[in-house]
Amino acid sequence: MSRRFDAGHAAYLTLNGAIVAFLLLPIAVVIIFALNPTPYIAFPPVGVTLRWFVKFFTSAEFMNALWLSLRVAMIVVALSTVIGALCALGIARGNLPGTRLLTTLFLSPLMLPAILTGLALFQVFMLAGIGRPVWGLVVGHTLVAVPYVLRTTLAVLQNFDRRVEEAAAMLGAPPARVFFEVTLPLIRPGVIAGGIFAFIVSFDQLPISLFLVIPNGETLPVVLLNYIRYDLDGAIAAASMVSIILALTAVLLLERIIGLRAYVRL
Amino acid sequence: MAALSLLSGNPVSNPNVTFTWRHYNRLFDSDLYFDALVATMRIGAVATIIALLIGYPLAHWMARIKSRVGHAVLLMAVVAPLLTGIVVRTFAWMTLLSDRGVINTMAQWLGLAEKPLPLMYNEFGVIVGLVHIYVPFMVLTLVGVIGRIDVTLEEAARGLGAGRLRTFLEVTLPLSLPGILAGSLLVFALAISAYVTPVLLGGNNVLTLPMLIYQQVSASFNLGFAGALGVVLLAVSLALVFAYNTILGRLTGERQIA
Repeated sequence: MSRRFDAGHAAYLTLNGAIVAFLLLPIAVVIIFALNPTPYIAFPPVGVTLRWFVKFFTSAEFMNALWLSLRVAMIVVALSTVIGALCALGIARGNLPGTRLLTTLFLSPLMLPAILTGLALFQVFMLAGIGRPVWGLVVGHTLVAVPYVLRTTLAVLQNFDRRVEEAAAMLGAPPARVFFEVTLPLIRPGVIAGGIFAFIVSFDQLPISLFLVIPNGETLPVVLLNYIRYDLDGAIAAASMVSIILALTAVLLLERIIGLRAYVRL
Repeated sequence: MAALSLLSGNPVSNPNVTFTWRHYNRLFDSDLYFDALVATMRIGAVATIIALLIGYPLAHWMARIKSRVGHAVLLMAVVAPLLTGIVVRTFAWMTLLSDRGVINTMAQWLGLAEKPLPLMYNEFGVIVGLVHIYVPFMVLTLVGVIGRIDVTLEEAARGLGAGRLRTFLEVTLPLSLPGILAGSLLVFALAISAYVTPVLLGGNNVLTLPMLIYQQVSASFNLGFAGALGVVLLAVSLALVFAYNTILGRLTGERQIA
């Protein structure tokens, strides 16, 4: 009995090991190609070189795109943390009618096709005759980033003891002071985690950007996508490494700040 | 967008626009568009089923693993791909699946294949890529549901003499059915609206609804028709979101997050 039990368990662990490998290996493979000197995708690698990183960091096209992506992501983080945190406070505290409907409404951009959000914004901008300004891009990204902040902040608010605020108010603190000295520090981990997600969402956002960028004013994912269509060389792998390192940093930061569990409790 | 799909032109620049169904009629005029719709749904369905088969064991492990460190490591393994850009992950699959990619080189070196296997620029490649991208969503949905199943129920079944497999099939699996449904709806909704993966891994041989929509805007500049296609995709997505929310709502009672 116990022998059969072990065999079953071993199969279970092997299967799961294979699944984890399936999830992570493709990402690991990218590093091989980022360091392989051949000008096309070839395996096994023939050597180690940093020329693709040099090409990536010296290319005006890539650097402009990277710079634009970073700038947009920063503004999106600022906007979406403020909007998301306020919405979360409103939903958790406001005693508003239809809280469930509101939550669903605010979180809906998470599940609706981003390509439609892009198309819809594009059409609205066209109709309004305002073209495709950078702030339009920021609006689009903020729209899909807010739900992440909302979700992490709501998660923190759920374990929040309101009596702390009441105590502060009783002791004579005006509402503004209660907010800045009690509420804000307590929800900060949720807001920061949401902000990190917002950064990643904006930095990697493609379907919306696709509609809203202008020629020579493209974000990094759009440039990468267009590049991959015609060229498959190590520069893409190097660019991918940069983006992967950003993502890994984000994962580690998130784990340190709130623990990933808070995000995962769906 | 929905309004535009019903009009014949730009109402701002052109005052003579009229209400029209022609963009929707066009959907049924040509096999091309209908085929794209069918292909989108087919790819979405297959990707969802495979994502479920891969996601379930992993979610089960994550929900039942005792060590905190083990749980954290698994969680990172699931979330890390989620935070890596879709373009990057799709590129990674291109390096694996292309004719001179890792898998084909290995297969030929081992003598398993004479010439490169057609692993990408077809629906197979698209499905592999989509499964990889959306498995984390499936896992994250399932972990919560499996974690809420009372372990004593399984122990009771085992105590009454049921084997491992039977306990799983008759206790654990039925109890996690709502999670399976919710996760599958989510993955399906995401998979049918994917753009990057079908474009890069499908090449010219695969045409899905989102690709068609972008093509209508960028190449033909036909906003009305793009809008009509968008409404079709939106209708399917909204139905899925509604179903997803209903299932999750029933599942968690008060708390629900889309």
